[in-house]
Amino acid sequence: VISMRASLAQAYDWVDERTGVKTIVRRALDEPIRGGARWSYVFGSAILLLFVIQALSGIFLSLYYVPSADHAHISVAYIQKAVPAGGLVRGLHYYGASALIILIVAHLAQTFLFGSYKQKRELLWMVGGILFLLTLGFAFTGQLLPWDQEAYFGTKVGTSIAGEVPVVGRLQQRIMLGGSEITSATLSRFFVVHVFLLPLAVMALVSVHLFLFRRAGAAGPYHTGPDARSDRFYPRQLFKDSLFFALVFVSLVAVATYAPAALGPQAKPGSDFLARPPWYFLPLFQLLKYFPGRLTMIPTLVLPTALFGLLFLFPFLDRRRERHPLKRPLAVAVFAFLLVGAGALILLAKRQDKTNPDYNAKLKHQEEVARVFLKTEFRPQEVNNSLSINRANSKDSPDSGAPPPPAFIQTCALCHGENAAGSDLGPTLIGVTAKPNRTREDLLKILNDPPAYGLKDPMPGSFPDLSAEDKRHIVEWLVNINNRESGSLIQ
Amino acid sequence: MKVAGIPTARVDSHQLGLLGSLTHGESALPVMVKGGERTGAEVVRERRTFLGLITTGLGLSIAAFMGFTLGRFSIAPALSAAPESDWTVLGPLAEIPEGKPTNHIIRVFQSAGWGRFSAEQSVWVLKQGERLAVFSSVCTHLGCTINENAKGFGCVCHNSLWSSEGEKVGGPAPRGMDRLEYKVEDEVLKVRYQNFKQGLADKQVAT
Repeated sequence: VISMRASLAQAYDWVDERTGVKTIVRRALDEPIRGGARWSYVFGSAILLLFVIQALSGIFLSLYYVPSADHAHISVAYIQKAVPAGGLVRGLHYYGASALIILIVAHLAQTFLFGSYKQKRELLWMVGGILFLLTLGFAFTGQLLPWDQEAYFGTKVGTSIAGEVPVVGRLQQRIMLGGSEITSATLSRFFVVHVFLLPLAVMALVSVHLFLFRRAGAAGPYHTGPDARSDRFYPRQLFKDSLFFALVFVSLVAVATYAPAALGPQAKPGSDFLARPPWYFLPLFQLLKYFPGRLTMIPTLVLPTALFGLLFLFPFLDRRRERHPLKRPLAVAVFAFLLVGAGALILLAKRQDKTNPDYNAKLKHQEEVARVFLKTEFRPQEVNNSLSINRANSKDSPDSGAPPPPAFIQTCALCHGENAAGSDLGPTLIGVTAKPNRTREDLLKILNDPPAYGLKDPMPGSFPDLSAEDKRHIVEWLVNINNRESGSLIQ
Repeated sequence: MKVAGIPTARVDSHQLGLLGSLTHGESALPVMVKGGERTGAEVVRERRTFLGLITTGLGLSIAAFMGFTLGRFSIAPALSAAPESDWTVLGPLAEIPEGKPTNHIIRVFQSAGWGRFSAEQSVWVLKQGERLAVFSSVCTHLGCTINENAKGFGCVCHNSLWSSEGEKVGGPAPRGMDRLEYKVEDEVLKVRYQNFKQGLADKQVAT
């Protein structure tokens, strides 16, 4: 053992003579922590490590992900449902985004309350602010990539907001979309920004952030008495940092395991979907409701710009040396107001969706559909295959004849497809009349009482939204398209 | 920098446990007892070693967990992917010329993760009266494509040669051309397309 250690030490010396690695490691670990190690300093390291987890999981997700409207959704479904550990890797990435935002807000709050943006740390603070914006950019561009209903309609709202900006709005929207609407070209753009540009920018700015931090030194507590102790980064602070990050990591793994990352059915551009942003965009979403018409500009542009500008330039507005939070009542009050305000808006948005029966029912239904989709077994997509081409021209998609009644589109199409050709969620209804117990009368009875025919979840237990006339229209249409397919008459 | 509060920054911020020993190449093992007395310096050193061990342990555990997860994520699908071997329609038997090898393009299916793709493969069919043979056009040497030549078949990559019955004649190929299973149903020729291991003297299905 001793000789092995000796030869390891020798090898290490050899490397050190050529690289100076000892000095580098020593300087990294011996960084002085003024006032001693504290739990309130753990957020920065955790954010850095979480970025590493995001990068790793993201790189590996792109092993299977295909950034094309034709295959994006199926490739994400494959990762989530079929690849070993796929749910975990995607879950880490999905929930990691939320964790990052929480930790960044905590880091920002700690820095703000301790007044650590003072004493020549203005640039450090501002670079941190830009990193926060870039993280939100990651969240926004990442949302579209799974190409499910949530992704499509979330991006639709987001890019429409960008289009409302005066003067440059339309131009900016076209550039974001790569055209006039959300297409595969949009997906490519979001993919490139999410996977190439933002990571480069974040890597560069994190380096600058760390460099500025080490140059200015840790700010330490807001009051340093004469008896203040001091630690070095290693071991005490690093120990606290690693314990905290381990906790974050274990929580992420637990959440990803027990509450798999959301994935609904593939995006259907024309469908009626109630889009709700992820929780961290809910404050802005809620504000939208209070500013109708031209005033929309206030929550979408004016307020965010003003608030971020205020935060960004705060070190120049508050130039006193005083760092104690209680001796900076105005600054702390404004900050607390913003935090509490954002929290209140999130709660309000959630509550309004809950108390509005229409929204609540629709959101519940959408959640249920997504749940069912996640539970259905993965089926690979047939690609450039002569069979599927043939099928497209014959059985599965009746391409002539009467269009489906609106009631069918609204109630049945999400699962059974707009042409009743079936989807990820439900079987095709073409050929249904050839089955036993599926005459015209039976179909009508099924719509009145699905369980009576042994139909189970995900088929709804009843259709309270359909009038008797709607049901008759749906059945007539189904019988019609089936007759056309089989060429035979069914009574 | 003056470090107050610790009995001594002179304890050598230098014996810092595992990570510390990286910087200074000194022993990471705590000095436990010296003549039954422990100095303040030694207590500090022990505590540091202890914290260092936990930190290193946490870091290694997370790294190992990520390594295992990402390894499984990237490697397992590659190992479990199985080739398909369905019967593919080649064409009506009557349309296949007599006595002369002919090339046919068939569509075979390949599962590849999220999708099932169809790919074109070329096979050679030789009909001599009642006798029928279907050959893969993949060279048994290193996988180039076998083509017809004046005397039978050849692979231009490394000059392997076969007779028109697929028997090895010359060159580096280790065996004759690979025969594919076929059957005739309702006067239609069907073939089961498979890939075989290259470089072996006997034919083995590639898995």
